[in-house]
Amino acid sequence: MNPAPPVIPVARAGNARKVSVAQVLVYELRVRDAMSAPPVTAHPKTTLREIQHLMKTHRFSGVPITDDGTLLGLVSIEDIIRALDKGYINDVAEKHMTPNPVTLRDHYSLLRAVAEFDRHGFGRFPVLDTSNRLVGMITRGDITTCLMHHLEKRAEEALAHEAALLAQRAADEKAQRVVLRAPVRTGDYDSAGKISQRMRTILRERGIDPDIRRRAAVVAYEAETNIIIHSLGGEIVVTVEPERVIIEANDVGPGIENIEQAMQEGWSTAGRLPRELGFGAGMGLPNMKRCSDKFEIVSNSETGTRVRAEIHLRPAGAKPE
Amino acid sequence: MKTHPPISLRPLLPVLQAEVLTDHLPETIRGCYISDLLSDVLAHAEPGVLWATVQVHRNVVSVAAMKDVAAVLITCGRRPDPAILAEADEEGIALLATPLSTYEAAGKLWEAGIR
Repeated sequence: MNPAPPVIPVARAGNARKVSVAQVLVYELRVRDAMSAPPVTAHPKTTLREIQHLMKTHRFSGVPITDDGTLLGLVSIEDIIRALDKGYINDVAEKHMTPNPVTLRDHYSLLRAVAEFDRHGFGRFPVLDTSNRLVGMITRGDITTCLMHHLEKRAEEALAHEAALLAQRAADEKAQRVVLRAPVRTGDYDSAGKISQRMRTILRERGIDPDIRRRAAVVAYEAETNIIIHSLGGEIVVTVEPERVIIEANDVGPGIENIEQAMQEGWSTAGRLPRELGFGAGMGLPNMKRCSDKFEIVSNSETGTRVRAEIHLRPAGAKPE
Repeated sequence: MKTHPPISLRPLLPVLQAEVLTDHLPETIRGCYISDLLSDVLAHAEPGVLWATVQVHRNVVSVAAMKDVAAVLITCGRRPDPAILAEADEEGIALLATPLSTYEAAGKLWEAGIR
């Protein structure tokens, strides 16, 4: 008669059936994965006394009796106790062993092995391969140890996998973040627009809405020209991220005397040359502020002027190109 | 400023006595904007317009590209540097030159129905 299959509890979380890793493992793992091998055996002519010593040395509770690899019987710790009690401990094994013991096959699942332990109540089973050769011994302890070992391995794999995913994500994000940095020289009107041109190319490649691209370009261009016209030199840093572009303009001076005034349209301190070239309309800073989603300006005569503008690239409701 | 419906540019060239300086010429324009102040163009020009100006500096090309201006009409008989023409072609911006003043050019465009 086949044993009734043991009920494997299935945890329910919402509507999803969740099977624990341990439940999967008892199906996947085989007796050969958990058994102790090669088995320590004794010959039928070995005395029970010698077998008692064998058990003591190896901490076994049962020793299979074999002849030339063929399993003949099993001597258990109970058999030894009885032999000591009844005074035949010096007899040979074949006289008192349990002949033809119940065995497990090495290809059985651990689930089936557990069921056999439950069914027979034995502490150990000899394990045979398909050609009936004794290949190992298995106890409940072996099964537990094997499961623990594999659970630990799975856990380590899961942790390693998670770490790899995190590293990959960090690398992706880094790749998506582009920083353009360029020095800007005073009076270098010919170079105006260089950095905003590079930024526009990146934004176009990323499929950013043309309106948003134009706004970012205006901010970067005005920032560049401000440094060219008004400062003693500085740099522009454009950081393109997946969701926003940050444009920073830092110069070394001389600083803006009155920021409130500078933020008014039409107010300009530009000289004759930039005005002739079409700069100095007094609209740079107001333009930048109007085109930015976030705009900050800090200026003093000692450290120069720092402008930081942020433009959101994918605001909710914006249609991609 | 409302967006103008597209108007064919080619028929306007003789009206403006304009010469096409670049290889590139757009089919249509969407209205006109006049300013010599770059920041003003950055602030107010709509994409696709014809921008009339006396400026010939290369920043005209940068600003035009940034605002997706269709073509730049350089007035008063001024001519940009050949290097600037190459840049304009690279950016896909058409440069036109006219001997007319900006005021006269604006008048012709108005008469042609661009209002």
